[in-house]
Order: sequence, then structure tokens, then C-alpha cells
Amino acid sequence: MRAMAVIDGTLGSAAAQAGALDAFLRDGLTGAAVDETVVLYRADDGRERLIELSPTRDVRLVKMAASCPDTAAGVIAEMARAGDVSLLLLAGGAGPELATRIACRCGGAVLTDVLHAQAEAGRLVCRRPVYSNHMTGRFELRARPWCVSIDAGWACAGGAGEAGPDTGKPGEGSTGKPGEGSTGKPGEGSTVETGDRSAGGALSAGGHRVLSEADETGRTVDRRFRDVELGPPPETGDLAGSRFVVVAGYGAGSREGVARIAAAATRAGADLAVSRPVVMNAWAPMDRLIGVSGTRTAPDLCIVVGASGAAALHWGIEGAGLIVAVNTDERAPIVANADVAVIDDGVAVIEELAGMIAELRR
Amino acid sequence: MSLSREAIVEGLQHIVGPEHVVTDEQVLVQSSVDNFRKLQNIFDVHTMPVPAAVVMVQSTEMAAELLRWADEQGVNVIPRTGATATEGGLESAVPDSVILDGSPMDRIIDVDACNMQATVQCGVPLQALEDRARELGLTTGHSPQSKPVAHLGGLVATRSIGQFSTLYGGIEDMVVGLEAVFPNGQICRIKNVPRRAAGPDIRHVVIGNEGALCFITEVTVKLFPYFPESNRFLGWTLKSMTTGFEALREVMVSGFKPSVARLYDPGDAGLHFSHFAADDDCVLLFMAEGPPGISRATADGIQAIVDTYPECTQVDSAYIETWFNDLCWGPDKIIAEDERIRQTRNVNRTTEISADWSSIGEIYAAARDRIVAEIPDITMMGGHSSHSYINGTNMYFNYFFNVVGVGPEEETTKYYLPIISIICEETLKRGGSIVHHHGMGKARAPWVKDEYGSSYYMLETLKQAFDPSGIMNKGTIFPI
Amino acid sequence: MRILVGFKVTPDFESLREADWIAGEGNLADGAGVETRYVPRLLNCFDESALELALRLRDAAAGRSFVEPQLSAVSIGGSQVEPFLTTLLALGYGRAARVDVGADVDFAPAAVASILAACAHDSDGGDVLLLGCRSGPGDGGTVPFRVAETLGWPCLSQVVEIEALSGDDLRVTCLADDCLLRVTVRPPCVLAVGNAVVSRLRVPTLRDRLARRDVLVDVLRAADLGIDIDLLLEREPAGLIGLEAVRRARAGVVVGGETPHEKARHLLDDHLRAVIERL
Repeated sequence: MRAMAVIDGTLGSAAAQAGALDAFLRDGLTGAAVDETVVLYRADDGRERLIELSPTRDVRLVKMAASCPDTAAGVIAEMARAGDVSLLLLAGGAGPELATRIACRCGGAVLTDVLHAQAEAGRLVCRRPVYSNHMTGRFELRARPWCVSIDAGWACAGGAGEAGPDTGKPGEGSTGKPGEGSTGKPGEGSTVETGDRSAGGALSAGGHRVLSEADETGRTVDRRFRDVELGPPPETGDLAGSRFVVVAGYGAGSREGVARIAAAATRAGADLAVSRPVVMNAWAPMDRLIGVSGTRTAPDLCIVVGASGAAALHWGIEGAGLIVAVNTDERAPIVANADVAVIDDGVAVIEELAGMIAELRR
Repeated sequence: MSLSREAIVEGLQHIVGPEHVVTDEQVLVQSSVDNFRKLQNIFDVHTMPVPAAVVMVQSTEMAAELLRWADEQGVNVIPRTGATATEGGLESAVPDSVILDGSPMDRIIDVDACNMQATVQCGVPLQALEDRARELGLTTGHSPQSKPVAHLGGLVATRSIGQFSTLYGGIEDMVVGLEAVFPNGQICRIKNVPRRAAGPDIRHVVIGNEGALCFITEVTVKLFPYFPESNRFLGWTLKSMTTGFEALREVMVSGFKPSVARLYDPGDAGLHFSHFAADDDCVLLFMAEGPPGISRATADGIQAIVDTYPECTQVDSAYIETWFNDLCWGPDKIIAEDERIRQTRNVNRTTEISADWSSIGEIYAAARDRIVAEIPDITMMGGHSSHSYINGTNMYFNYFFNVVGVGPEEETTKYYLPIISIICEETLKRGGSIVHHHGMGKARAPWVKDEYGSSYYMLETLKQAFDPSGIMNKGTIFPI
Repeated sequence: MRILVGFKVTPDFESLREADWIAGEGNLADGAGVETRYVPRLLNCFDESALELALRLRDAAAGRSFVEPQLSAVSIGGSQVEPFLTTLLALGYGRAARVDVGADVDFAPAAVASILAACAHDSDGGDVLLLGCRSGPGDGGTVPFRVAETLGWPCLSQVVEIEALSGDDLRVTCLADDCLLRVTVRPPCVLAVGNAVVSRLRVPTLRDRLARRDVLVDVLRAADLGIDIDLLLEREPAGLIGLEAVRRARAGVVVGGETPHEKARHLLDDHLRAVIERL
């Protein structure tokens, strides 16, 4: 069974796509080996950098004229058909569109937001959130190719570092199979098989091997779109986008208590947020307020110091990866709503902890 | 001679220490209003005089000192705890007011399962007390929609009522004793006893005083056994409110005590029940609770009564149970509601009144018809009865309008107050009460004399006796 | 220009309790997994944006003496959809239709796309098909792309703003992968609305409702659109075969130790180290 990952390197999210795919190949996919990655790129996208991003050793490069999902889908659909590809893995915000369009063009099946995929006895079963995340659904993809767009959560899971070559993968030995069908030059482009079967096919500095290179810049891009302008995405406040938040609650006891928590947060490299009673006491400015009347945040780590965890506050942090409660009252609702709790004086604990974290991060 | 703003702040700092006196401008501006000016708050348009300070009250003694000082200096004070008021009761009607915030007094003093009563400081959130009671298999029986955010002091001060009142009563039926501080600094404790006949029941001077007579520092409320597993739900659709009131009345006067007994008109039913009720359907629903035998008997009795009304079509009780499970307003709903208003300028307001069985239907129909005819831009005009008694029930008018052609600051004058005015007029005309459970606040204070009639003498005398300098929450209950 | 908004009415999942989410095996495509009959219905949030954006395009045209677009709306569903359609008529949608296919299509995005494509193709259809980018129960955001593929129309997703230019052109802003993309597109096209700032549908007054009382909701059967729903469902390329519960509650593990220092040390060593190293 042939399986491919796809990175759309014409998008700024290429590195994130690669990280997510790498994590998914390690922990999200069972029963199938993905041996090659198709990398789309434009002349000015930094070809070498994109090759190094590939989660698999073997890479197929496709040069595009522009970033256009419609055209990209056409190119990949042809590769999939010609190469008898059974499984395509895609990631990133544009993954669902590419996956859907490829599936439509190849008569395949598409599933998005995929958490896990298992190939077994010629079928693919995937898990993905359903009912607005209230349950996980198991789906069987019936038609091939199976076009799988992986869940955005894999991007975080892939944060362990640069996605390196997946040398530990089983099936590495059998990769010298450059896909017989793909020589049937798709579209107007031209494909050059570079990863020949002979040993010593040129490996890149990062240990990658380019199996083929195609030039699809001659493809017409969609002219129904005109006057394309790209701008930076809208800014989110520092709290909303923070990855590490320390929340100070009324249990801080005084303006000074909040100031000490704030200093500890800074030392630990966290952003300070506070609960409503804290701003109503003017112990911290209004723009630090988290919860219903303030900001909602979803950091990787959220340490709540001296807040009881009323519903209004909890709403602001419930998306956090890990919630730690530090509270003197073990019956405070925040303790039950946290992953980990420390029952003690909040200021004392956070000051100790901040020192240790600072040391660790140094 | 009244004190300057600076002198007020200085005086307060001297009494309680600067750490408990908040003068942050944003906090003060937010403290100048409550949810009466909902649209203004959402658009951050503030028109009320900004208070001089918010004082975080730490103890009963601190409250006493503060009040004595304010009384001597003639400084207007506004007591508050959870600050969830909706009728302008927490608005600073006059410049340089001082907010006495009792939310720091948040200790649950005692939960006494033997005597089935709990004593708490004024700043204890009802949710916190309810959670503690539930750990012992008990409940406060008090469940207003504001349960997640409101505090006990404020609930008692506004004569709050909960969604299960038909069984457990309003807060006045739950408070057995309390502690309050009067403007002269006098601290009064009313002891906790099952009943007394030693003269007038002075708890009622404090319950519902809305901060216009005293500052509540501690309350003791009853506790009840909690039997969630025996809850039973019943629901019907029907076409006529008149029939609905008749059925509701019959259930009540037959001696049944459901915890929830509600009748929705088609407009209001459309907001909650359009997944099973047609757009011209009223919805009649009940919940029975208590020990299994009582709950079963109550449900069976109600069933037998409503069965005699051929106009009522029973619905699957799962609809009612699902509705019940999602009653309280959590943070998600509050956020969603504010965002909806911000974008659509479609504002939802409510006004609750009560009357006897003979008048309630007429008040409902007359007010509804007048509002639809006289007020522009109405998008929904409806209501429901949600608290019933042996002699009558309430009507919770629920209405939406688009705010068109005026800024947020004119929403109250163009729409809200004229609607309140119609409801008050139609209610008073037929002998009902213009306030069922939100409190008079400042919004309905102009009708206080009509509401009280000749008994206004008693109310006014209370004010003169307990707050002779008139420093307690000016404009609330007693119009300026 | 004719704008057709396809929208979905979904159960309010937030009003269900944890215990209502029942895991199970087998083909649950007929909705046997989770009982949503008893909960209120809501407009799918992205579709609500789309419905309001269409009204704003109409308002803007009136303000700039462009030809006002004709608005219509379509939803797939039973009588529970009707209140939403009547509201749209009161707001000035010229036509409001529901396609009653007599089957649950929550987990059949290919079937949904076929139905929507047929509606757009219909003589009363639209030049602009406006859709929410995804909906709650089962669809993972594939419907707009499937429809675009079927119709051969260009498609923009994660649309957050639409402005009418002269000559029927639309200037569309999308929150693309990692940037804000602005493009001009000439209909026909499919626009999939994402996290738009405009997210709430305006509310008609009682007078608006009265004025449009006599306009009826169209009820279409699959056959009216030339669609064999059973065949579509049978051919759905991916199918739901089981449901699993999502564990939501956090563990609330209390860290041991005597002093704040010891507790902080245990907290860091046993629980935080990996997270912090990743930050």
C-alpha cells in the first residue's frame, strides 16, 4: 500500500504542517507506513529548507507557480491516481480543502480533523471529534484514496523540535520504490526521477533524499480570483495567545500579594492574568482580567494561584492544556477542575516554583 | 456642607486603611451602574455619576464604622455584594457616592445539618453555599438564575426568589436570622429560631431593604434534604393562556406543591420550546420533587388535574427534563448574550409583577397588547408565570426590541422605561404588585407610593427612623 | 446577483448533560448514538454569519444604488427548521426553502453537498452560494469544497468579510492558513464563511413578521431536485461506525510534600517538566 504525506510549502504554515505530520506519523497512524512526502513549493519558498522539513526521508518536490489549492489538488490528484496511492496525509489550515478536493477528483474518501488513523485488513478506520467535540466518532473510509487531514492538535504535539527525518520508521528498508506510475508525467509539468534505485542516491544535509522533482509552474492558476492581497493575520492580545499563564486570584490577599505573583510569573516566563475580584480591588489593571468579562485563553500551561475557580473564571481557562491549582482550600472548585493541585499558600508556592522554572529554562 | 471627593477618599482611607479603598477609575466607572443599563454597559457608554470610591468591607465592625462616618458626613453609600442587580438598585444616583462592597466577607461560618440551617457572611456566593450543602446531601432550595454569580447578602437585600419557590418559598421563607448594620453604626443581630410571636417580625425590615435602610453582614438560611433522583417532570402544550392560568390555579389550590410550576405564553415559549411547541402554543410545565413518595404523589395529582383539560396536549417529559437541566445562566450564555446584543442591538428585558388569580390573566393581556401597539421596534413580546401561590401567581414579562435611531444611552428612555411604565400601570390598575422579585431598584421607585397606597406611611417611617440623614442608597425604593 | 445561503439548524449540544453522550458501536448514521430530539435548536454559528452577511450585502447595495441582490435561503431538515425560515422571510429573504429528505444527513457530507449543489443549480438558485465553513455534529468542513468541486465554481473558505464591488464582483476577505487574504471574485462562486466578526443574525420586528405572514416556506423533496437520497447515502465514501466518550474531567491530583518548597519541587518534577521544556 502506498501512502504519502503532503506539505503545501507555498503556505507560511509549512513548518507547522511538517511538525504536525511528523507527530502524527509517530503517534497517530498505525498499520501503515508513510515513506514519502510530497512537498509543494514556489521558486521563492526556500526549496532546501522545505526538503529538510519533510517528516519522511524520501521527498517528492513539486514546483508551483503560486499558492492555489485548486491547482495543487489537481497536481496531487494526478500523482495519487498515477501512483496508485491509497493514503494521503495532510495537515494545517488548508489541509481540509486540499484533502477534499483530491478525494473528489480521485473518487476517494476524505476525513478531516483526524486524531488517529488505523489501517487494517485493507480498510482505514479514523477517529475524529464529532458533535462539536462532545464525542469522538470512528469512521470507516470506504473509497480510496483515503484523504486524511489531521487534527490541528497535532501541531502542538509536534512541538518537540524540528521535524527531523523519521529514521526510526519501520519499512525504511523498502523505500527504494519510487512509484512506478509517477513517471507518467502529470499535467503540463515535467517530472524528473532523481531518487534512483542505486544505493547512495544523493542525501541532503539533513539526510533527506529527493525521489523526484516536477515543475508544475506552467499550470494555469485560477484566473477567477483577481487583485490578490496578502496581509498579516489579525493580532490577538498577549493573554489570548499566551502559552503559559499564571492567574492570580483574590486569595493573593492584597495588592502586594498580586505584585509578588506577577513578579514570579515574569521570572517563570509566564503572562499574568487575574480574576475579577482582583481587578475590582484594583490590585491589577483591567486588561489582565481573565474570564467572562475579560479574555479567554488556551495556554499550554495555566497555573491558578489563590482563585476559587468560579464558573466565570473557569470559562476563561478551560481550554488550557494543563491546569495547576494552588489554593489553601482543598474544597475550592478549582481543585477539582485542575489537572494538578497544590494545597498551600499560593504566593509562597508560586515564588518557589518560579525560581525552579527559571533555572530549568536557563 | 458636603465633603469633596478627595476628602471622602481620605476619610475612608483613614477608617479602613488605604488598601481597602479602591479609586481606580475603571473600577469606579463600572461600579456606577448595574445591569439596568445593560446596553450602555455593553457599549461602554457611561452616564451615571462616578462614585468617589469602592470600599472593600472586611468585617461587620468595619461596616459599622464606615456607616457611622458616612452618616455624620452625609455621604451616600451603596451596599453591594455580587453586583448582579438588574433594576438600577446599585446605580450611583448622586455624585461622590461610596460603594460598600461586602464581597470580601465570604466565609461560610456554619453548616448545621442537625438544625438544618447554614450561617454565612454576606459575600458568600450562593453557589458556594449550595455546593457545600450538597456535600451533605442537602440543598438551600434557593436557585435563582443568578445562582452562579449572586451572593447571599444581595439575595436577602433584594428579596430574591428561586426557580423552585413554589415548594421552598422565596428567600423570606428561608432566612431564619441575620446580622445587619444601620447608618448610626448600630449592629443588630436577629437570632435563629424556628418561629417567634414576640411582636412584629423585624426580619422583614432587613429582607428586601435594598440597601436603603441597612447593610447586611451575615445571614442564616434553612437547609433542606436533597432528592434529585426522585424529580419528576410534566409538560403540556395548549393554545390559550386563560386555560393555562385555570389549570395552574387548580393545581395550586388543590394543595399540591410542585417545585416548579410554569406557564409560558406563545412568544416566550418560542424562545425555549420551539423544538416541540408550535408558534402559537403556550407551554404548561411542572416539576415535582422531594422524598420519592411525595414526588410521585405530586406528579400523579397534577397529571390527574391537567388531564381534565382537553385543550392540553401532553409532551414527552424528556423535553421538560432537558430544559430543566439547562436552567441556570452559566458564563457561556452571558457572553453569548452580550455579543448578540452588541451586534444586533436587539435587547432583551424583563419585568416581573404579581397578582391574584382573578387579575393575572387580564394584566398579562392588557400589558402585552399595549406594549405591542405603543412601543416601536418590538421583536418579541411575551412572558411566563413561574412562581405560584395559593392566591395567585407572578407574570414575568419577557420582551425584546431593536434599538433603532438612538444611542445606547437612550435605550432606557426610548424603550425600557415606557414598557415598565405600561406594565406598572396595568398591574396597579388591577391591584397587583409591580415588583415580584427583582427589587424596586431605582427603575420602579417612581411608582412606590402607588404600590404601597396608605401603607406607604409605614415604609416612609422606617426610612426616617433608620436612615434619618438619607445616606442609604439614594433613589432606591424611595425616588429622589 | 442572486445569493443563496445554505444553512443548518443543529441541536444545542451545550444543553445536554455528560450522561447524554452515549458511546456505542455499529452504524450510527441514523442518529441512534446521541438523543438530541429533546434539546432546543440553534442556527449553526458559521451559517448564522453567512445569513447576516447576505443581508448586509443587500443593505450595502441599497446604500450605493447597486442592483440589490436577491436573497434566498435553504436548509436540509424537517419541520424544526421552519421557525428559522419564517424569520428569514421576515428579514427580507425572498425565498426560504427546506429540503425534506426524510433521513439524517449529519454524517453524510457528500450527500449534503449534492443536495446543495442541486439547489444552487436550480433555476431559482444563486450565483453566489454562501455557506458556513462547517457545522456541529459530523461535518468536518468539507461540504463547501465538495459543492465547489461538483459545480466547478471557485471557492473561498474561512471568509470573514464580503464587500460588493460594481459589476457584481465581490471583494472577499479570508483568514487563510496564516495570513489575511483579500481577493476579488466574480460570481458564480462558493463562499464558506469562517470566524467572521459579523456572527449574529439580526432580529425581525413583530411588524416585519406580520408584513411577510403570507409568504410561505417552500418544502422540497429530494426527488424535486432529481436526487435519490438512498443511493447517495449508500455511496457516502466515509461512514460513522462508532462513538466514543470524550473524557473531560481533569484529574485534580493533589501534590504531596511538607513545605511550599517541597511541593513546588514535586509539582515541577512530576507534572510540569515536560510541558515547560516544550514551551
